[in-house]
Amino acid sequence: MNQHVKWHLLFVLAIWAVLTLVGYLIVMLIDPFPVAASEEAVVVDEAFTLLTLMSVPVFTFVVSVLLYSAFRFRIRSAAPSGDGPSIRYVAPVVIGWFVITSALTGVMIVHPGITGLNEIRHMAEEPVDMVIELEGRRFFWNVHYTQQGVTSFTELVLPIDAHVHFRITSHDVLHSFWIPAFRVKIDAVPGSWTTINATPNEFGTFEEDANFRVQCAELCGAGHASMAIPVRVVSQQEFDEWIGEQTTVGLAR
Amino acid sequence: MTFLSGFNKIARGLIFAGIGLGLGIGLAAIVTIVIGNPVREMDEEAAITIGYVLALVGWLLGVGGWEAWGKEWLGGEPQNTAPHNWKRFLSFSMDHKVIGVQYLVTFMLLFLLAGLFAVLVRIELLTPEGSTVFGPDGYNTTMGLHGIIMIAVAVATIMGGFGNFVLPIMIGARDVAFPRINALSYWIVPPVAILLVLSPIFGGWDAGWTAYPPLSVINANGQLLFLLAFITFGLSSILGGLNFIVTTVKMRAPGMTWGRLPITAWAIFAAALISLTATQVVAFGLLAVVLDRVAGLAFFDASRGGGALLYEHVFWFYSHPAVYVMILPALGIELEIISHFSRKPVFAYKWVVGSFMLIAGLSMIVWAHHLFTSGMADYLHLPFMVVTELISIPTGAVFLSALGTMWMGRLWLRTPMLFALGVVFNFLIGGITGIFLADVATDVQLQDTYFVVAHFHYTMMGGEIFVIFAALYYWFPKVTGRMYSETLGRIHFAGMFLLYNFTFLAMFWVGMKGMNRRVTEYPDAFQMGNIVVSIAAFLLAAAFLPFVYNFVKSWIFGPKAADNPWQARTLEWQTTSPPPEENFERQPVIVGDPYGYGEQDNVHVRFQPAGASHEADEAPGIGEVGENRGEQ
Repeated sequence: MNQHVKWHLLFVLAIWAVLTLVGYLIVMLIDPFPVAASEEAVVVDEAFTLLTLMSVPVFTFVVSVLLYSAFRFRIRSAAPSGDGPSIRYVAPVVIGWFVITSALTGVMIVHPGITGLNEIRHMAEEPVDMVIELEGRRFFWNVHYTQQGVTSFTELVLPIDAHVHFRITSHDVLHSFWIPAFRVKIDAVPGSWTTINATPNEFGTFEEDANFRVQCAELCGAGHASMAIPVRVVSQQEFDEWIGEQTTVGLAR
Repeated sequence: MTFLSGFNKIARGLIFAGIGLGLGIGLAAIVTIVIGNPVREMDEEAAITIGYVLALVGWLLGVGGWEAWGKEWLGGEPQNTAPHNWKRFLSFSMDHKVIGVQYLVTFMLLFLLAGLFAVLVRIELLTPEGSTVFGPDGYNTTMGLHGIIMIAVAVATIMGGFGNFVLPIMIGARDVAFPRINALSYWIVPPVAILLVLSPIFGGWDAGWTAYPPLSVINANGQLLFLLAFITFGLSSILGGLNFIVTTVKMRAPGMTWGRLPITAWAIFAAALISLTATQVVAFGLLAVVLDRVAGLAFFDASRGGGALLYEHVFWFYSHPAVYVMILPALGIELEIISHFSRKPVFAYKWVVGSFMLIAGLSMIVWAHHLFTSGMADYLHLPFMVVTELISIPTGAVFLSALGTMWMGRLWLRTPMLFALGVVFNFLIGGITGIFLADVATDVQLQDTYFVVAHFHYTMMGGEIFVIFAALYYWFPKVTGRMYSETLGRIHFAGMFLLYNFTFLAMFWVGMKGMNRRVTEYPDAFQMGNIVVSIAAFLLAAAFLPFVYNFVKSWIFGPKAADNPWQARTLEWQTTSPPPEENFERQPVIVGDPYGYGEQDNVHVRFQPAGASHEADEAPGIGEVGENRGEQ
């Protein structure tokens, strides 16, 4: 190997190391997540963090070569006076690149990809404490506590640590049931029921943090943005009291 | 008078369109009277639909289709009536270069218009209350118009514009395979723009550019205009795709083997395969929505045996591959520019070609990653996640090639190269953030948030639109025969690159923190982030002013450009700027690779002596020193 090339490679490796370090520092210092208030949120945030950690060195590697080349190999004259070396193919580089990128892809497919998926499925199979049906209508949510026979249009109140099974449907157009603090989202489809599970594990209210809300996340028309109701996670006792205060009516259809 | 005479055919097209519209409305009225009015607003919608179809036929005949086809149907000879001065750009010209310019100018204007819509959207989002600029319906229409026009710009600028202008010259052809169809595929486009611009008058549409039913079946008439526009544009894409495929297969110059094909041509070929096939599927999906509206069918009405989810599958079966119709040619042009401005061959050329074809194939089987939260069957999540993440391997090959080409090169950092290097950075972020959306666990949270918005702007704008600007600067001297101002070009690049990244990095942040997309109102906690995004976006809009000034002024007053100002080796630089009517004075014969930088004896093209037959004799072998190596 030519002496020049060795130095170029060393410089790039050094830049890569520095940038990667800086990248990891930034990742450590910032918190990209909204409040996490359910067991499901842990799975999602862990997957996100893991993917970020895997992405940083990939990102900084490409940027290092890019920046180094742009500065070190640029010409300063008004027009190029000759050509660069004719390097069309370097077998170890090309094959190495494909081996590494394939390996990285394989790793992220397995973990957090398949493992994350399995974890969510596994959590959904655990015994359910409560079934709540939500029907999306333009532009509000109709919340029906099936066991308690209670209906609410104004808020979703949940007891802490209850494993809740949500059944979602729509009266008119597509909507989507999303609670940002819980990291759960599933579309409301007219004519069918979709399901998703969540286990709130932190107390919280919409007033404290806007991510405690059921937000429609599928464009449904003029009132789409305001199609949201507050979520309140309370103790079992407070929940029972709240249920008692509600008038018992069926899910209006 | 002579000036106005340039608009003769367009005026005739409008008159014929008016006649067609009248006939269509009359026909619809008769039908409604005969069979009654069994469904909602059928009379109105049937009148719009039938009226539009006949108006479209009238427009196409009037604007030049009559001379190109009509006379032939009646036993006459087809005529090419295109004039030779500037008026040819307003005519049914069959010259691929004229059509390329028509596409480029039309869609640059639409780009600026849709950019203004984005500014309006960002003004609205300065405050969390909503209704700063317009009510929610106006907001949804404006946002949707921004989306669909930019999608059209992204497809048509690169395929219709650069594909048309550059591809035939690059492969040594005199024109495309079907020049009349080529003219048709452009002249179909103005009605699309007219429909979209008129749609707010018909109540707008509040279903976004994705137009999911049942909403898109029950909303205002403006939605129907959107659907007709989308289908019409799809027809243009299908015809364009067909043309590029046949042109690449059948029209290459003697000696232009597949292994010598410029990487841009390969990329356009791969994209054209998608464009020809997948577009037909979405056309069906949109047609089904039109039929639900106009004829009261129930493709998507669950209460009458239809299904809303059906549309999402059909729609994304096209619309995911569609992003590769945009990005594949862009990646090809990016590598093309990096090679010429690094004075080095495209690194790992064959691997990149293989990757392009692999991406084109894989793109057809990943669509349901848009549906992870749609309620589709659970077992589908895993396979669609796996195939989606597999795409990162062939996409990674493009980065390998870009970096390998630059490495040890002689980088000439002119404006096109700066944009091409910017793409490596932007598209890297676009690609990496795509992983987070391919992963089911993280997508459940990120789907329909501003994270998605930022991600696709990083691929489509940071990737493709940046390449479009790289290509505009790169081929400006070839297209116009004049040179742009390098200083203004660099100012444009610096402003656009920095402000673009500022805008959309901040958007990732807002999305991660829990702001959903397509909203006028949002929780107060997100206001600070939105103000940052909006202000950066306003400045980004201003960053295009130097570009507009530079291009308008340079096209008229710019200094005459040399035939090969970049000392590039590909064919389009070996002819005059702008090229003559049939592209080359003498027949080009390809004798070597287009990227043989640093190879003493490697010649790409030799021109047959004047007067020699167009059919090439035996192509001279590689390594023979040709006398014609462009300008230098």
